[in-house]
Amino acid sequence: MNSALNQKSTADLVKIFAEYSAQQYDHMLIAEVKQVNRYYHMLKAIELELKSRIGDQRRALVLLYDNPNPNVRVKAAKATLAIAPAAARQVLEVVAETCYGPEKLEAGMSLTNLDRGIYQPT
Amino acid sequence: MLCSDFDIRRLMALRAVEVGLLRLKWLAAATRFELAMVRHHRALKLAYKYGYNPAQPRVPAGQREGGQWTVDANGNPVRPNRTRLAGEVPTGNSPEIPKEPPPTTRLRNIAIRVIAARLGPGIFVAAEAGSWIYDHKEEISAYFDPPKTLDELQKDAEFPEKGYDIHHVVERASAKQDGSEDGQIESPDNLVRISRWKHWMINGYYQSSSDEFGGLTPKEYLEGKSWEERTRVGLDALARFGILRK
Repeated sequence: MNSALNQKSTADLVKIFAEYSAQQYDHMLIAEVKQVNRYYHMLKAIELELKSRIGDQRRALVLLYDNPNPNVRVKAAKATLAIAPAAARQVLEVVAETCYGPEKLEAGMSLTNLDRGIYQPT
Repeated sequence: MLCSDFDIRRLMALRAVEVGLLRLKWLAAATRFELAMVRHHRALKLAYKYGYNPAQPRVPAGQREGGQWTVDANGNPVRPNRTRLAGEVPTGNSPEIPKEPPPTTRLRNIAIRVIAARLGPGIFVAAEAGSWIYDHKEEISAYFDPPKTLDELQKDAEFPEKGYDIHHVVERASAKQDGSEDGQIESPDNLVRISRWKHWMINGYYQSSSDEFGGLTPKEYLEGKSWEERTRVGLDALARFGILRK
């Protein structure tokens, strides 16, 4: 487990998750893959830290469903699909339907992969 | 004419101040834009709460009542005296496009895509005449092309055009690694002409780690898969990105 993340409160981790997702979006827009993947692993570490906390604190990421940055909404939805499947799916559907950037592709492909059983959130 | 080191240093200092000011102006404009987008997002959320649906059927463009809703949110026909334009969504303040372009090419590329992604096809309506975003007009127009059939996209591939790229439905590099023939990879069936920006974004998606595939990238996931499976994923990506009409 990441010891630096271990020391942070759940609220702080949610805040950092939002910041990283927003920063990752800039790189997604111009296809800077190396940076996108770096942020993927940083976000995953936060997600795992939250999951390990009593009561699975990934649920706190639900607060980000309303974030103005579409990538924050997509990343929060994907991180909570296992614990709030209906609500998280709805977030992905709205992004896939109404957005125009790379988030539209990611949200749409997540839905396709969920429907095909390739994507099985845990 | 520059006659001394002092003049050169003075000129360089002035340039540095000028670049700094330009950057500050851009940051202020970007902040205003960001705040406007927060208001825009809140208003759009409210609109959805009260039944706004961008896919609600409308009278086709070119007719007298073009753009007006033909049925309400429940599918009931709308009476003429109650019709509203679908575009009349309470969106709060319109987002502002910064007057000055960002100081570096990279920031400019990010900014123009953020603006396009957030404003949608109405970007040119929001832009002032002579705005720097017109430097990207071909890429922007291509980005908002309506979806086309696979046949149309394949035919377009014969006619390269500014703002567009030729895209391989089955991703070229990994297909080659897996032993697919060049003839199959470069076949007209596998080539489509799509928006340059969307082409880059799809390539980015293929190379980005994803939860869907246990942390693998779609490209890694597709290694060793059949041509048919790769084609399916390629077409799904085009459809999900609003490029392919199924």
